[in-house]
Amino acid sequence: MTWGQTLRSAFESIVERRMRSALTVLGILIGIAAVILTVGLGEGAQGRVNSAIASLGTNMLIVTPGSASTGGVQGGLGSASTLTLADAQALASPVDCPDVAEVAPVTQHSFTLTAGSQNWTAPVTGTTPAYLSVRDRQVTSGQSITETDVRTEARVALVGTEVAQSLFGTSSPVGRTMQIGNVPFSIVGELNAAGASASTNQDNVVLVPITTAQAELFSQAGPYAGSLSAILLSAHSSTTMSLAYQEADSLLLQLHHVTNPLQADFTITPQTSLLSTASTISKTLTILLAGVAAIALLVGGIGVMNIMLVSVSERVKEIGLRKALGATPATILRQFLAEATALGLLGGVLGVGLGLAGALGIPHVIAGAAVTVSVPAIAGSVLVAAVIGLVFGVYPASRAARLSPIEALRSE
Amino acid sequence: MALIELVGVSKIYGVGGVEVHALRSVDLAVGGGEYVAIMGQSGSGKSTLMHILGCLDVPSSGAYHLDGADVGTMDEIDLADVRNRRIGFVFQQFHLLGRLPAWRNVELPLMYMGIRSRQRRRERAEKALEAVGLADRSAHRPTELSGGQQQRVAIARALVTDPAIILADEPTGNLASDQAEEILTIFEGMHSEGRTVVLITHEPDVGGRARRLVRIRDGRIISDEPAASGVGSAG
Repeated sequence: MTWGQTLRSAFESIVERRMRSALTVLGILIGIAAVILTVGLGEGAQGRVNSAIASLGTNMLIVTPGSASTGGVQGGLGSASTLTLADAQALASPVDCPDVAEVAPVTQHSFTLTAGSQNWTAPVTGTTPAYLSVRDRQVTSGQSITETDVRTEARVALVGTEVAQSLFGTSSPVGRTMQIGNVPFSIVGELNAAGASASTNQDNVVLVPITTAQAELFSQAGPYAGSLSAILLSAHSSTTMSLAYQEADSLLLQLHHVTNPLQADFTITPQTSLLSTASTISKTLTILLAGVAAIALLVGGIGVMNIMLVSVSERVKEIGLRKALGATPATILRQFLAEATALGLLGGVLGVGLGLAGALGIPHVIAGAAVTVSVPAIAGSVLVAAVIGLVFGVYPASRAARLSPIEALRSE
Repeated sequence: MALIELVGVSKIYGVGGVEVHALRSVDLAVGGGEYVAIMGQSGSGKSTLMHILGCLDVPSSGAYHLDGADVGTMDEIDLADVRNRRIGFVFQQFHLLGRLPAWRNVELPLMYMGIRSRQRRRERAEKALEAVGLADRSAHRPTELSGGQQQRVAIARALVTDPAIILADEPTGNLASDQAEEILTIFEGMHSEGRTVVLITHEPDVGGRARRLVRIRDGRIISDEPAASGVGSAG
């Protein structure tokens, strides 16, 4: 029998057993689609967490007032004033901290912004131009605030895209004036869109010179509002992070006259620790989802196995007849191989199709869900389905093909 | 030399540790063009004998020469070729594939024979169906045919490769007597065309139609003589 006849015969046999073929295909299809989607969801979540953290600034150290080890006791009002602009200036010294690239002191308070008849509330951050490079932000239109602005306490501001849109709609905010509280500031530039991570919306921000903030804004906001809420440091590269950490730590201990590091009145958090924690969590999530998917594939595979076994054992008689009419074992085997392959391919293609359609569709249905299409997941699941289909479709057939025709004909 | 020659053929089935001797040292020679009926009660070993003659089963011991060639030394591929070209088999239960129309059932041996042209296979299948009087039933599925018609489709399938030997295992066993008569007429015709016909039956009426009658009991041949009809004119 030629391959053409074999394929034709396989096709006829599949069509003849429509229900059984459909169930086989369904088993393969669901298994593969489940693997693609669950692994994709896991990897998508991981990717989003990583990029959200990376967008906070790479190679970044955050110095915050208060001690992590003593927790709530020292973390209240008393410790809020421990970081000063003088600390920030000392950290910027290339002699004491050669591995610290940039230093951005940060002080933050929420204000009502007004422009014309529009009102909006956003956190206002007083900082220095270094903030942009530490946090990896860009000015997309207009210009940045400058060191001169910091020195002269200029009333200039940079706004995030959400603030700009809320106050000025679609027109450019650059060159316009807004009131922060009741102090007029002129907007010199707009920041790039950076998206929202879990805790902070990076597009709902206003940046002003730290000196202006302390002199004009935060003096009204409360007794401790003038102190720094954090100092952001960046290292030259990820490899010098720990050196920068040690330099900053020992310098601040010295400046704050703390002899026992356990009693430090500040905490330095490397951004990478956050990153690695987050990616550990999302990796665990991916493994969990992949496990669920593997079980789905296994269940689908067992379904395929059952259907194939039943289908073949039902046809042992037919195998006997075909042998009596002159079929060789190889011919019989080829026929079942073609059938199993066709079913496997059909299930595989439909499963991959459904998986990809789900990967494209799910983010539209569930806001915030991201599905990454994982090539190893696709390849692996298709391979497993193909092996299951072939083994359980062809192995019993090959056993039947080795029976003498009369034994096969007599079987029930 | 005889077309079919069995020498000392035995067949032993092992059923749960108990050995069943289906055939005990059977010697049988059938010449080309003979019409032989093998008769015996159920369990006499006649079906086993037929399966061995048809190369559907292998003897436990003894030798089987088919047209001078030793079947015992053949591999699966040679055996498949013998079943395909040399022997046409007719079963009591017809063994048609229910999902295929009559002509597709008949063309199956031609596919295994390696005839690539579907057109040629169809022509030959239609011709074989015509020979058994079913030219107008070629597109019918087996379920749409009577038992006698189904058996005639099976005979067409046995004839389609033009084999020298036709082996029939109780071909009329499942049929009403008028349908059985049609089938036996076809066998007569095949015999008169010069084919070797061997059929198995337990019905004396059917056995009496052959030219030679071989009786078998308990796995042994107990008599081998010309049938009544073979002496004078048939009928």
